[in-house]
Amino acid sequence: MTSDGEDFARNVFINCPFDAKYIKLLRPILFTIIYLGYNPRIASERSDSGEARFSKICNLINESKFSIHDISRLKASRRLEYYRLNMPFELGVDIGCRLFGNDKVKGKRCVIFEKEKYSYQKALSDLSGFDIKAHNNKPRKIVEELRHWFVENDGIMADSVTRIWDNFNLFMTDFELAATAKGYEQKDIQKMGVHEFIFFIKEWLSNKNK
Amino acid sequence: MSKSSTKSISSRRAHIISRDDGWAIKIEGNTKATKVYQNKDSAIKGAKKLVEKGHDVIVHKKDGSIQAWEKGKKDK
Repeated sequence: MTSDGEDFARNVFINCPFDAKYIKLLRPILFTIIYLGYNPRIASERSDSGEARFSKICNLINESKFSIHDISRLKASRRLEYYRLNMPFELGVDIGCRLFGNDKVKGKRCVIFEKEKYSYQKALSDLSGFDIKAHNNKPRKIVEELRHWFVENDGIMADSVTRIWDNFNLFMTDFELAATAKGYEQKDIQKMGVHEFIFFIKEWLSNKNK
Repeated sequence: MSKSSTKSISSRRAHIISRDDGWAIKIEGNTKATKVYQNKDSAIKGAKKLVEKGHDVIVHKKDGSIQAWEKGKKDK
């Protein structure tokens, strides 16, 4: 069992969309975090309806030294569609936690992803000066940016981007085989929730490292 | 989920995986790609000889999921 301080130093809060279109980026994000030895924390991981969503998010932010915020889906994609404001709202809470919190949370680090470089400036120009990376909607690019960010911000030694990406592809092969063997159909594999997907990643990495 | 290193050479799976600069053929257990091609079709053609040698070839999409799986033709 680890102490709260050790958990805090390994926890990574993920603030991103949960729609089907984003899953191609979310899955490599989760894999990279766990591959590098960190613990992904995500609002959908606990579905206790008695716990207010915002309270849950605040707890996750407070318990995580690292945060990943993806604001690439800020812009409405269709006419009359509303802006999606949950992600920038939670980003603001995270930054506020670091600015006004105790000594522990003052050491928090966050990376912000957008789709294209500098597109955030059209909607959130206050973010100038923050660590903002563009993933261009490419899964391999997000692995690359995340790997480099953890190396720079936590001083870790890590495998190369290519090795992590290749392992993710190998994992996806075994994941589909293992899920199919457990009776999952293709549509269930596509829609699988974060908690279950994390279980498969941890099991695969555990077998790989034996 | 089993460890690839415990498999015989020909039963090791080969993967066609996206790279920044093209598509790579990577055999499980090898540290480096066998070859990187400029496009996916060329990589799939290049992997045909691995199928003949008995390797399963798994073609991945850009998101890492499986697009196609060709079984190896002989099992040494």
